[in-house]
Order: sequence, then structure tokens, then C-alpha cells
Amino acid sequence: MNSKQQRTWLLIIAGILLSAFMCCLFGLALGSLIKHAVPSSTTTTPTTTSAELTIAVSPGMGPTLQQLAEQFNAQQHRTPDGKTMQVRTISLSPEKIVAQSLAHPDFQAIAPDSSLWLNQLNREWEAQQNPTTEEKTLIPIGSRRFDEPIRYAVSPVVIAAWQDVATQLGWPNQPVGWADIQRAATENPNFKWNHPGTGYASGLLATLAEFYAGTGLTRGLTPEAATAQTTIDYVRAVEATVQFYGEGEDVIVQRLEKEGRNFLDAFVTQENVVVAWNQAHPDRPLVAIYPAEGTLWADHPLALLELGEDGETPVSDNQRRTYQAFAAYLLSSEAQQRLLQAGYRPADLSIRLDEGNSPFANTQAVDWRQPQTTLQIPSEAVVEVVQNVWWYTKRPTNVYLVVDTSGSMAGTKMRLTKAALRSFVQQIRGDRDQVGLITFSSGVRLVRPLQPLDEGGRQSLLAAIDDLDASGETALVDGIWEAFDDLQQQGDAEAINALVVMTDGHENSSHHRISELRQHLTTGSSFPVVVFTIAFGNGADEKLLRSFAESGGGQFRRADETDIEELYKIISTYF
Amino acid sequence: MNRTRWIFVGILAVVLLIVGVSLALRAGQSGGATDSGLTLERPEAVTVRVLTALPVSEWVQNAADSFNAEDHQIEGASIHIEVIAMDGLTALGRWDRNEFGALDSDTRPEHPTAEQQAALDKFPTVWIPDSRYLVELANVSYKERLGRDVFLTDGEYRARPVAISLFTWGIYQSRAEVLEKSLGTISWRTIHDAAITKGGWPDLGGKPEWGYFKLVVPNPQKNVGGLAAMIAAAGEYYGRTNITVADLTAPDFQKWLKELMGAVTDFSSASAYTAEDFALFGYSVGDGGQLLESDLLQNMQGILTRWDDPLTLYYPQYITWFDFPYTVWMGPETTALEKNAALEFERYLLGEAQQKKALAYGLRPANPNVPVDATPESLFVKWKDHGVEFVVPRSDAMRSPDREVLLTLLRWFELNVAN
Repeated sequence: MNSKQQRTWLLIIAGILLSAFMCCLFGLALGSLIKHAVPSSTTTTPTTTSAELTIAVSPGMGPTLQQLAEQFNAQQHRTPDGKTMQVRTISLSPEKIVAQSLAHPDFQAIAPDSSLWLNQLNREWEAQQNPTTEEKTLIPIGSRRFDEPIRYAVSPVVIAAWQDVATQLGWPNQPVGWADIQRAATENPNFKWNHPGTGYASGLLATLAEFYAGTGLTRGLTPEAATAQTTIDYVRAVEATVQFYGEGEDVIVQRLEKEGRNFLDAFVTQENVVVAWNQAHPDRPLVAIYPAEGTLWADHPLALLELGEDGETPVSDNQRRTYQAFAAYLLSSEAQQRLLQAGYRPADLSIRLDEGNSPFANTQAVDWRQPQTTLQIPSEAVVEVVQNVWWYTKRPTNVYLVVDTSGSMAGTKMRLTKAALRSFVQQIRGDRDQVGLITFSSGVRLVRPLQPLDEGGRQSLLAAIDDLDASGETALVDGIWEAFDDLQQQGDAEAINALVVMTDGHENSSHHRISELRQHLTTGSSFPVVVFTIAFGNGADEKLLRSFAESGGGQFRRADETDIEELYKIISTYF
Repeated sequence: MNRTRWIFVGILAVVLLIVGVSLALRAGQSGGATDSGLTLERPEAVTVRVLTALPVSEWVQNAADSFNAEDHQIEGASIHIEVIAMDGLTALGRWDRNEFGALDSDTRPEHPTAEQQAALDKFPTVWIPDSRYLVELANVSYKERLGRDVFLTDGEYRARPVAISLFTWGIYQSRAEVLEKSLGTISWRTIHDAAITKGGWPDLGGKPEWGYFKLVVPNPQKNVGGLAAMIAAAGEYYGRTNITVADLTAPDFQKWLKELMGAVTDFSSASAYTAEDFALFGYSVGDGGQLLESDLLQNMQGILTRWDDPLTLYYPQYITWFDFPYTVWMGPETTALEKNAALEFERYLLGEAQQKKALAYGLRPANPNVPVDATPESLFVKWKDHGVEFVVPRSDAMRSPDREVLLTLLRWFELNVAN
């Protein structure tokens, strides 16, 4: 090889080495570009860095938890990346909390009034997930829709009664139980009592107590015992004495404030309601009766949902931090004292109930040593049976939907009204319940007389709702009059008889006068007919509707296009 | 340009193309993983995530806070301890379903996907379950999946107990006196007889307002103590410490156990913190039960504050011990630095200072140099008038159940009690 050839080969080798070095640099740069430019195909769920936490809370606890959330928010806690932690609450019935938690909820944490609902959520969640692999079922523990809950306050379910009513029942000298209340209600037709539906802890407990009494058991309730005809007959007899059902303790308290002791003699509620009532009304105190057979605790759990299924937005790390900080705040001395003052028993066991300014000290109305015993909570399957059987034992309902179909209801209002009426009909599940439909515009039309909601009846009513049309004037008074008279002709005093009246306008087309109707509602009935009135939108005659509700011993509510359907659903819980 | 130069440019172009494309593909495939490995950075801090059983979680958290404040270092990196409280059985379920995201045996740990890397960022370095047998059950699960143990039983990284506790009877004093008078020494037999007394407390000589006899047993789906209680009951029923699947499936025993569990007021609302429930709801939900000694001691003050009757402890003949083993994960999901940092914290927990602090949580020290009455804050000292024994009376220790026994009990509970 001559020197020229040697130089050439040297140049080639040097070129190869140089190019290899350049390739390394180029390759790394290109790789980096690819890495950052191509998103990972495994990322499937959306993420967020929000530090705002929304908690769905039972209505009874709602106002207290909202206040605590505001105090927490005022402290301006910050996440490591500088976001301000914020907690907001939305009020939902426990049943709705469970239902909405199953898929794409608008909240990340839940605070129902009892752990019973968490168990129900877990059961429904597991059924929904339907694990199929053997691997998932080996150790069937720890796979839940929510993280380990905390408890921040508890309150036993009690029978709240006016002091003189409680004394007549034997309080405080002898034990008073569910059986005494049930006996008083069946023997004395003037004795008025109430419990919420089974969608609330207190309503579920009252119902369980009836089933226990009906079976003669104090524990070991089975589906067979709960569905025995003798049990159903007993529970039916007791439920026949219930004045009405409804949304929960908060609404009962509102009505007690308004109607005083004429409203109810006794009602099933949480102990904190008695404390709060007595703080506000020391001149007319209530007494908490701890049922001798046993009661149940509302244990107020708070739990963070584990979201992220099927495209759900997962709970962000910041929301977890907000949850943890808020949970810690709820257990702080400041928050625990506030819960105590609101009538709850704080979860902090170092706080005494019988000393200082505790509302449990120096009073006979509530007793921190109670309850002495609790009823056995049956398995989830038996609880479900009781919830279902209750629909066959509850007091039957005859309810007329009295609906404005005047011209002003045309368009969106009528469309939303139809949806709301359909929801109402779907919510009524008792086999002895009857629903009818009367519309009013320039005149009155009996669209469907009262009929049981068996499969045929329900479909017939839903079809009639779909066919509603809007035109003409507003014969509100005549519409109510006709529905009221029809209920009178039925003469079914054993049932809850009610009208649910809705209008968006003013009376302008009736034959009967307003004053005549008021008198008719007050004196024209041999048994009570409860009148619920709904003002739909801003144009309704609220004053008139309110007066009809008062005459009919019912309630007046406002609604707009955003909540008309929800309102009809709420009213359905009264039946 | 002559031929030599053409050859030179050609080779350059080909090499550039081959090497460049291969490097680009390699870097692209590594996805969101850590840097390509060409550089090795020493971290400034190392985080040790400690999955901790509930009965010791407060003590471990307290120790972690002190440890973090003291700024312990390893190879120049600050050690940060992060405590995650979780019931042992719940954790076992999550290990079993691989919810912590351990890598498959055929996955190269240096090239995890973005999803795997996100999971690894939260992967526990250490597990302190309630009992050693939970570690063995997790090992069985991973041996099937990976072909090797993930928690070691010997060597430097072996599981070591950091505290111990045992199951004792905690019964409200007024009720206990009536029980002893009517049925004799407190035992599972006594409790069973009380549970099946049809008329409840009035028939046993107690007050009518006490209702029927109410037993407290942790919900085994939320608290491993529920299983421990049922196994202890089986031990006393059969008069031996080793319980088999055949024992649990015997019809007579199942009838007896079902009658016993029938005295539990409410499994559905029971949380993972059974002794705390016991204090919060008092005698209204339970007259007594066999619970972890440390949990009972921790909640004794709450019981006295809230309820009108003190609690008394009784030590059973057949005893279940929880030894809270400190167990380091041995897989490639955590780095050697993290594993060694974990050992630093283990030594810290076993030091006399932290072992003495454990006494204030009602835990018996694992370090034999620390007696249970070593400090005035010891709950053993504080509650010695409530039946607490410094030295556990002579008894028979229940042997750890195997996987099949555990699963049989869980299935029995699911079928006969939970549903």
C-alpha cells in the first residue's frame, strides 16, 4: 500500500468514527423528539390537578357540613403546587348518593347519614363490576368503590315527642319502645306520628323495628320471617297510622316550626334534631325517647370515592390532599366542638358529653348514657327485602296530579312538565297506590281517573301524559275542585289522599270562586286531603298557591325549568 | 470527486442512517420511563413508602414524623418516610390482585411503560401487616405469578416484628360480673351460651334494658381481627391450636359458630377500627368481644369518658398473637437505595426510644430490653386496674392459619353472615 492509499484509508476510518459519533448525537436528539412528541398509547383516563373537592351529603347533616366547609375554605390551605384547597357540599338523599356514586358522579366524596348506604354502594358496585376472573375472587377483600371511611360524628335514632306526649307514654319513669308508639297510634286515631321513608337511616330503622315487632323477634330477622303474611299484616296496620312520609328530618322541623304541635305528636329522627330544636325553642321542648327494644346509630361516615372507571375523571392528587386536609379538619378540636354544639356526639372520644357547655349536660331531654341497646341490623340482603316489602305494607296513597295545560305552558315548559310527571309516576311503587290525572286550561279535563299503578295502569297513565297539549286559559280553581271532589267520592279514609297542583300562571277561567274553594278544602271533607302546590316559573300566583297549600295542610314549593322534575320526585317521597 | 471520496461519503451516509435510526427507535420505545440509562444521577432524597397495619399505624406515623424531622441520610440522600395505613387483609387482597402494580416477570424493570412507571412511583417499599402469616400468603400469591418470594424470611431483609399484641376479651364490667356469676369464667363457651340465651340479659340475671347479649367481632371483610377471632373460637371449640379446613367445615362447628355470630349486632356499620367503634357506640352495640389488646387499651379512656360503665380485660386460654413484621419488598420495583433506606427506618423503630413510645399505644415492645412498664405513659401501667396483665398468663398460642383455612372462613362468613 503506497502512502496515498494509506492516507485514503485513514481518511475513511476517521470518517467512520466521526460519523458514528455524529450519529449518536443525532439519534439521541431524534429519539428525544419522538419520545416527547408521541403520546403514550396506554394513557386512557383524563386527569386533573383540581384541588376542589365536592362532597355529597345527607340533607340532615347538610347545613352543618356546609358551615364547616366554609370555615375550612377560609383557612386557605394550599397544595404543594400552590392551588387553594376548596370544599363544597351538595345535599342529596342517601339513596341518591348511592345511585349517583355508581357512575360518573358530580362529586368525589360522600357523607351519607349511615354506613348502611356505604355497604349498599359496595354491594351494587361489586354487582356492577361483576368480577369474572378467578384471580379477582381469591381474596375478596379491599376492592371497593370508596376508600376507608372516617367518622366525624354520630347520633342515635330516637323517637322525638313533645314532653307531655312522652310523659303520657310513660317517660321518664318506665322504658318506652317502638311497641308503645305503635300501640298509641293504633288505639288513638288522633295520635299523629311520622317516620321518613326507607331512603333515610331513621326511616329504615323505624321500618326495621316494625318488622321485628311483627315477627316477635329482636334479632335474626330472615327474608322468610320478613315476608310472612302475619308480619306484613302487622306492619300494614302500623303503617296505616303514619301521617305521611317525606324527605327527612329537616323538612319535618320546618313544618314543626310553622304548625307547632298540631302537626305531629311524635316522629322518628336523629338525636341531634331534638338538641337543635330545644336550643331554638326552649319554651316548647321535645324529648328524645330511646326505644327500649333497641335503636340504630346514624354514624355519619365520610369517604373518598375511587373514580376512574369507564372514562371517569379520576380523583386528582390535589383532591386527595383536600380530602385528607378536610377530614383532619373535621376531627380537629374546633370542628368537633361545633358538631357537639349542633347536637351530634363528636367522634373525638376525649370530649365529654356530660360537662361544661355540652348540650347533653343538665338536661333530661337527651341522655348521653343512652341508648342501652340496639336492634340487630340484618344482613344487607335482608335489609333489601325489608326495603322492598315496605312498599307493600306502607300506607296506600290516592293522589291526583292536577296540571296546568293553558297556552302559557306550551313549548319547553310542557316538555319538562311531561318529564317531571313521568318521573313522579315511576317513583310511586306501592301496589295499593292509585294515581289520577286532571288537567285544566279554559276548562277541566279528567284525563285519567284514579287507578292502581299495575303494569297496565302505569303504561296507560304514561301514555296520557305524553299526549298532553297546551292551549287556552287557566281554570286553576275548578281543576282543584274537581280533583278534591273525586277523592271525596272515593271515600278511602285509610289511604293518604293528596293533590299535587302545578301552574305557571294566574287563575282566570273558573266557575268556582277562590274563597269557595278555600272553604271547600277546609270544611268539605270527612277525611284529610293534603294539597301540595307548585309555582312553575316567575309568573305563577304564589300567594294563591300558598294559601291553597295551607288550607289543604300540605306544602307550597317553587320550581323552574331546572328543577321541576326533581321537585316532583321529592313530592313523590311523601306517598 | 474521485472514487475514494465517493466511498468515504457513502459509508458515512449509511452509518449515519443505521445508527441514527436505531438510536431513535430505542429512545422512542422507552416511552415515559426514566432517562435512558446513559446517565446515572444520585438522588437528593429517597422516599420509603410503608404500608402499615391499622393497629400500629399511629405509632409508626409518629415515629416517621420524628425520623423525617431528624433528617436521616443514606449515601448522601435524605430519607423520607411515608406511612400508608391499611388493614392487613385489605392489603393482602390488593397484593393478591396485584393492584400495587408489581411488574410481570418478563418485564424489564428499566423499561416500564408510562402506566407502570406511574404505579411504581407509589409502590410500597415496606409492608407492616398485622401478622407474619399474611406475608406468607402474599408470598404464595407472588410465587404463582413470578416464580419467587417477594418478601424474605431470612437474611438481612427478612421480616422482623416491630411490636406485638394479642387478642383479649374486653367486656363492660357490669355485664362481665353477671356473666361470670351465671355462666362461669369468660371464654368462647361462656360467650356462646350467653349468645343463645333466648331471653337475653334478663334470663342471665342482668338488667332488662340491656336487651339481648351482644358480641363484638370485627367484620373480617374490613379487619383481619375478625378472622383471628373466629380462628381463636375454633381453637377453643376443638381444644387445639392448629385449625384445618376439615375443622371449619364440620357441620356441628358451623352451627356453633353461626349461633355465636348471631349475637353480633351490626356487621354492616362496623368500620376497620372495631375497638374505636366499641368506644363510640358503647354497650349499646356490644357487651364485650375479643379484640386486640392494644386497640382496647388505646380506647379505654374514650370508653370511660363516654359511657357509664368501665371495661375490663380478660386473657383467654387460646391466644392469637399479632407480631407486625417489618417486611421489605424485594422486587425490582423499588431501588436498592430505597430498600437500604427502609432498613434504616426499621432500626429506628426497633431502637429503645421508639419501642418505649409504643407502650403509649398499648403495644408490647418487640425489643426484649424494653419492659411493658418502662415509661409512665405506658397504657399497661395506666390501665392495670382494668385487668391488664404485664406478663400474659400461661396459655396456648394459636398457630397461623394457611391460605385455605383463611379462604374457607371468608367464604363461610360471606355465605352465612354477610348475606
